[in-house]
Amino acid sequence: MFKFLKKYARQMRLVVGLGLLASVSGQVLAHGERNQEPFLRMRTVHFYDMKWNTTEVPVNGEIVVSGTFRLFPEWPGNLPPPKRVFLGNGTPGPVLARTESWIGDVPAIQSGQLELDRDYTFRSVYKARIPGNHHVHPMLNVEGAGPLLGPGNWLAITGNREDFRLPIDTIDGTHIENLETWGVGTVFKWHALWFAIALVYMLWWLRKPLLMPRFLATEAGNDDLLITRGDRMWGAAFMVGTLVIVVAGANWAEAKYPRTVPLQGGEATWEPLPKQAASVKIAVKRATYDVPGRSMKINVTLTNNGPKPVQVGEFLTAGLRFVNHDVPVAMANIDPLFPKDLIPPSGLKVGDNTPIAPGESRTMMLEATDAAWEVERLTSLINDPDNRVGALVFFFDADGNRSISTLSGPIVPFFGAGK
Amino acid sequence: MSAILASSADRSPGRFVQYKWPTICFVGTLAVMVFYRWFQQTFAWKTGLDSTLPEFDATWMMLFKVELPLMIALWAGLWSWLWVTRDRHLDQLKPEEELRRYFTLVLFIFSYAFVVYFAGSFFAEQDASWHQTVVRDTSFTPSHIVLFYGTMPFYVTFGVGSFLYAMTRLPKFAERISIPFVLAVTGPLMILPNLGFNEWGHAFWMMEEFFSAPLHWGFVVLGWSVLALGGLAAQIMMHIVEVMQRIDAQKAAA
Amino acid sequence: MASNAHETVDIYGVKWSKWSAALSRRFDIIVAIILFLAVTAAFHLHVMLLVGDWDFWVDWKDRQYWVTLAPVITITFPAALQYVFWEKLRLPFGATFAVVCLIFGEWMNRKFGFYDWSYFPYSLVWPATYIPGAIVLDVTLMLTGNFLLTSLTGAIAYAILFYPSNWVMLAAYHLPVEVMGSLVSVADYIGYAFTRTATPEYLRFIERGTLRTFGGHSAWVASAFAGFLCMLMYIAWWYFGMLMTKVVTVPNKMKTLMGLKADPKRSVEAI
Repeated sequence: MFKFLKKYARQMRLVVGLGLLASVSGQVLAHGERNQEPFLRMRTVHFYDMKWNTTEVPVNGEIVVSGTFRLFPEWPGNLPPPKRVFLGNGTPGPVLARTESWIGDVPAIQSGQLELDRDYTFRSVYKARIPGNHHVHPMLNVEGAGPLLGPGNWLAITGNREDFRLPIDTIDGTHIENLETWGVGTVFKWHALWFAIALVYMLWWLRKPLLMPRFLATEAGNDDLLITRGDRMWGAAFMVGTLVIVVAGANWAEAKYPRTVPLQGGEATWEPLPKQAASVKIAVKRATYDVPGRSMKINVTLTNNGPKPVQVGEFLTAGLRFVNHDVPVAMANIDPLFPKDLIPPSGLKVGDNTPIAPGESRTMMLEATDAAWEVERLTSLINDPDNRVGALVFFFDADGNRSISTLSGPIVPFFGAGK
Repeated sequence: MSAILASSADRSPGRFVQYKWPTICFVGTLAVMVFYRWFQQTFAWKTGLDSTLPEFDATWMMLFKVELPLMIALWAGLWSWLWVTRDRHLDQLKPEEELRRYFTLVLFIFSYAFVVYFAGSFFAEQDASWHQTVVRDTSFTPSHIVLFYGTMPFYVTFGVGSFLYAMTRLPKFAERISIPFVLAVTGPLMILPNLGFNEWGHAFWMMEEFFSAPLHWGFVVLGWSVLALGGLAAQIMMHIVEVMQRIDAQKAAA
Repeated sequence: MASNAHETVDIYGVKWSKWSAALSRRFDIIVAIILFLAVTAAFHLHVMLLVGDWDFWVDWKDRQYWVTLAPVITITFPAALQYVFWEKLRLPFGATFAVVCLIFGEWMNRKFGFYDWSYFPYSLVWPATYIPGAIVLDVTLMLTGNFLLTSLTGAIAYAILFYPSNWVMLAAYHLPVEVMGSLVSVADYIGYAFTRTATPEYLRFIERGTLRTFGGHSAWVASAFAGFLCMLMYIAWWYFGMLMTKVVTVPNKMKTLMGLKADPKRSVEAI
């Protein structure tokens, strides 16, 4: 027994410690994105140019999250294509109230179809609701594929939950002070009324001997004593009363809300950004992941089909941004509020940093090394039945113009021994 | 038992319906359920969202690792005790004692139903409120650790326990196996192994949280078996009436 | 108390010794609580996993699937319990009892689960009521004393009453609002505003456009269809109740293992 206690003493201390921590902290952890299989994060949706207007806001304050996403052309074969997609947000419950969401200039209140290998801009507007520190992601829900999360950022909401209000005016001029409580009074009263009616109805029989006496009397065939004329009158009164109350209630609702509409179940049609031919073509010759070294090394042949010389600026996969520190315009492309934990400090190492001339084809090594691979659990790639890496690579020319190419290819793990 | 039978003329309900153990079970069960709900409220959002973190291990997996052995110990302890202390002389059982045992059985089933409520209703729908709200990233979620690995093994304890109690202490249940009783115990029990199908589906093909999905219908069908409690109630009523009549007949003869 | 043993009372035409009548009342109370807990668990589990999403969310409560499915799925346990309560006990409240259990279970969770744990407002997660239909179903059975007539009249009434009895609560959520230049109902907007991370909009199994609304009466068309299905479902579950509550026993083959006297003669299994 003591041995057992000793063995688990550390864990118990941890539990007690966490209990104390939990009691004083409003912090919640990231939610589940790290355990999403790497292929769901590397080869489905890549979010880039993400912007948050703030990371600290009081209850009722506004948060605007915007950015662009590209649907990966080599969409995993085990996922259905994005025929029905909803622009969601990955939050720990409805801690924010979503007031607007757009894909391009079209509202995203409904679901719709998206095209692979295309880019879409999006913008979501929220109202802060539940105080605390919350990890908030942009997200696409794809039918059959589930939630596909973008980069998560921490959002601190201050104030009181009770102060939250979400007002709206209906088309017929009714002012709704708060959607959280709208109609709830009627719901409570109507349910309470029917509960009371049901209980009174049943109490008529519950107050008398119930189970064994009725069981024996039923067996004996004493129906006239079990169900009396009084019982029938009682029941009939309830039946008539029920019908009257239901009809009166429905009429009251019709009179009070004469203009109603059914649930709206239409589909949205969203236009992608104009397609721009990738100025650089990427051919993966060999990609390896060094497990102990936490390093992804990709030998690629880059062919510049554009009119100007370009440099490799950024390697983006699964929300992680490996930025080439030697390309200032790539560094300048980082929004100050972008979560730091998703920008590995060692950045992207490029075999040959000199600009690739138009028409030139150059083979070089791209190296992304950081503990983030481990932290973000992307190392579990080696457990996937389809070991492929997918990413976006950003190229910049001397004028700061950017072109984006997709990188895709098989990847081989390296465990530190053997070949 | 002899103390109970000491005053054979006493026929007050209190003599046959003894609440000590049922009350202990009820209060204990309620305390466990309140603890579970408190634990969820306190830790679910704080450490239950990301199963890859050490904080998740320290709270949720710790709860899992503690509750399962405790449940298995409870199974082994209660069921072995019921078996080992079985009455081997049921043919000599006095009707008063038999009647008392019937009420103990009914109260045993009450304990079963109390936990079944938490498993089938309270924590079950709460499972929707959790999974439809967050991104599921493990089979051992803050909801599942309580629902599937906490409350369900708990009601199995009382379900199988009540069945064993009847079989080892009441002549009619020892003589013949009651099919409604078997259904009322094994149906809910089978919900636990059916979890394998549920997790298989969530791991391989059901990526979204549609609570009414066919993947969940196994739970529904197995839940229907609770209706068999009606058959069991009818059976127990018939038995109790027969024992009461025997007692009255003995009294009249005396 | 001892003197009670000789006294008898007449209950519904059956003679009871006074002590056993008192004991039976104790039995009533305990078993009533057991039934309340067990029916709540089983019926609520059944409903949450068959019609749950429509019942959880206000923006799933549509004119087509909700109105059709909810009565059909929820007439099941009332029918089965009516068999037991009426046929075995002549108690005319099997259906009412079942739906009271269901709605109790639902409210417990809407409060402690959806509202307290997951931060959803009640305006999004209130449950439907089934009590008016259940009372009519019970009284129909009591007055007719016949399950077939109850199916033909009470079951369809159960389905038809569902929509108007819930419209009292639902109407306020179907006021039209304009959001981002689109027309939506208040219910749509509540579902949109208070996000469900893993249950996106497209999962809503709702009316996406009717072929013919017949003057806007599609909810009544759905109710009528539900009524037809309820008639069939009622009969099916009446018999299912009969099957599940049948008292069947088989010989205990473990008697010898238990150390009890073996049967003097070979037993014959009878099911």
